[in-house]
Amino acid sequence: MLTVCHLYPTLLNLYGDRGNIIAFVRRCRWRGIPVRVREVNLGETVEFKGIDFLFLGGGSDREQGILTGDLRRHASALAAAIEEGLVILAICGGYQLLGLYYQPLVGPEIPGLGILDLYTRAGTKRLIGNVVIETKLDGEKVRVCGFENHSGQTFLGNIKPLGRVLKGYGNNGRDGFEGARYKNVFCSYLHGPLLPKNPALTDHLIRLALARRGMDCPLSPLDDSIEHLANKVMLNRLGVAKG
Amino acid sequence: MGIRLTAAILAGKAAYCVSRLGGGKGSSLPGVVALRIYPGILRVLAGQVENGAIVVTGTNGKTTTNNMLARVLESYGNRLVVNREGANLMNGVTAAFLKESSLRGCLNRHWALLEADEAAFPYIAEIVKPRVVIVTNFFRDQLDRYGELDKTVSLIRTTLTKLSSAKLVLNADDPLVAQLADTGLPRVFYGVGVPTGGKEAGGVTREARFCPYCGENLSYRYYHYSQLGAYRCAGCGFVRPRPDVEALGVEVVDGVTRCKLRVGKKVVSVTLPTQGFYNVYNALAVFGAGVQLGIAPGATAGSLTRYVPATGRLQEFIYKGRPVYLNLVKNPAGFNESLNLLCSTREPKDILIALNDNSADGRDVSWIWDVDFERLQERREILRFVCAGRRAAEMALRLKYAGVPVQRIAVSPGFAAGVRQVLEGNGSVVYLLATYTALWPVEKILRRYAKESNVADRLPSLSHSS
Ligand SMILES: [Zn+2]
Repeated sequence: MLTVCHLYPTLLNLYGDRGNIIAFVRRCRWRGIPVRVREVNLGETVEFKGIDFLFLGGGSDREQGILTGDLRRHASALAAAIEEGLVILAICGGYQLLGLYYQPLVGPEIPGLGILDLYTRAGTKRLIGNVVIETKLDGEKVRVCGFENHSGQTFLGNIKPLGRVLKGYGNNGRDGFEGARYKNVFCSYLHGPLLPKNPALTDHLIRLALARRGMDCPLSPLDDSIEHLANKVMLNRLGVAKG
Repeated sequence: MGIRLTAAILAGKAAYCVSRLGGGKGSSLPGVVALRIYPGILRVLAGQVENGAIVVTGTNGKTTTNNMLARVLESYGNRLVVNREGANLMNGVTAAFLKESSLRGCLNRHWALLEADEAAFPYIAEIVKPRVVIVTNFFRDQLDRYGELDKTVSLIRTTLTKLSSAKLVLNADDPLVAQLADTGLPRVFYGVGVPTGGKEAGGVTREARFCPYCGENLSYRYYHYSQLGAYRCAGCGFVRPRPDVEALGVEVVDGVTRCKLRVGKKVVSVTLPTQGFYNVYNALAVFGAGVQLGIAPGATAGSLTRYVPATGRLQEFIYKGRPVYLNLVKNPAGFNESLNLLCSTREPKDILIALNDNSADGRDVSWIWDVDFERLQERREILRFVCAGRRAAEMALRLKYAGVPVQRIAVSPGFAAGVRQVLEGNGSVVYLLATYTALWPVEKILRRYAKESNVADRLPSLSHSS
């Protein structure tokens, strides 16, 4: 039984984040892998040891503030779980939160959880639009697409990006990188939602979660023709379809 | 000024003719052209309206509310400026005035009834200085254009505080709207009372679960949909205000909506020739405006029974003897309401969903993941889902992950093929749900095959009681 944890679903649920949970769960169930979803809300306790996949989404500025305070109680437990291989997908605000700090346009820095070596600065222009990035999953190049909408510009320290931007802005619109990756943590500005349209990434996360429980086996293939069609429509439109 | 004004009006009117000839609705182009030649044109024209402007803003229900109110005021012999087709940005509003203006820029109208996009409201209100402002609700809508809801609401609040002579008509059931009462302007609240039987609570999109004042969780005695209901904040005591205009015992039967309406101490029975719970809110807003304008509730009710919905607001057509409904969908709350409607009967049906991602639709289609399509997985009477539009594949993907069997999902990006396919289904009723820019092409194609039925012709009678 895999346990999916949706952290603060009532607070962080912008841009159809729920779709990421739905995709993870459906793709497990279609293969007969038992899975359950546990929603954790403000003030509730989380036992990271019992979780196989943690999803951290985005929220508005106000919500982000409420949440950072609450999550700080869990920061060291979360950091330990990450070192031990917990699979995490963190999008937008959730991504920024795992970093060192967020520097608003005015006022002091807002400290993050300080788990990943990256920081975010507020930008004056919102980075909005469809994005395609190229990433490597198990050594294989994959084109991942989604939609980004963020004013924060993220810069990576000693940490790998999730991928290279083929179309769109990515982390900061300057260095050509998108997202971040550390152990089994995947961070990205791509919502859209990310997982349904990019089944290779979803399956990669499922495999990692199973491997952490000692179940290191290939996943049975699914018919992904609709997934591939949705992905291809966007790749074609943005002129980055593979030949 | 005179010559430029005339030039602007001429050019605007010419643009209107050209765009109509081209088969378009001619909603905004005349405004674009005229504003370019004479930027002050809206101020000049709006200033001539005898009684001033009434502006409707909010996320959902603007067009319907505005058109309903137009119907009421016209029945009193008022001549109006109305932006009827939902062209609710600066250009569209300007175009509406142009249409009624003489070539010399003279306007002989009693009222201007304008719906204003939430983001454009500050600019439009600053120029037309509305006498009455109706605020319907605030749902998540097209985030990529507006940033976050909080910002939209606070811009509207700031604008209102500068309109010292305006009266407000506010939805008491939406905490984000009700809070606008603290601008201190005279206001009328409207709302829907305790739900009658089995109506599902909430769904998944609740925009304002948190108190707009102190950030505490709001608790609800009941929900109607999304965040609309009877809320209370334990933190600061913010509570749903008691409505001045309240709907009680709402029922949707045989394609019409019935309720009792309390206005102050008066009670009127109302029958609306449309389905859809949200239309009750739109009607309540109109009654609220009536109170601000001194129109008797019975008279408002009388005018509303003859209300015919605007394009895509649950328009009814007939194809080969079967009803075909066309409805606009543009955000999770509205889409969930459309699903409520099509799940309200068990007759076999075919559905077309046309999803575009042009800027008027919202370029980000992620919001479809917040619509509660999961409830459709058990609905065997839905025979086929045809997905059309620029993001047809994305829509099909959403349905697949909602648990709808893939054999029932068809992807047909072109509207013509999609509409044909859904009309040829085996169901006894057809629903076409389309986002904003998909609506006109779908309607145009639909009209080639199906005839619009005039809902107002077969209305049950209206009774008054007090
Ligand atoms: Zn409060």
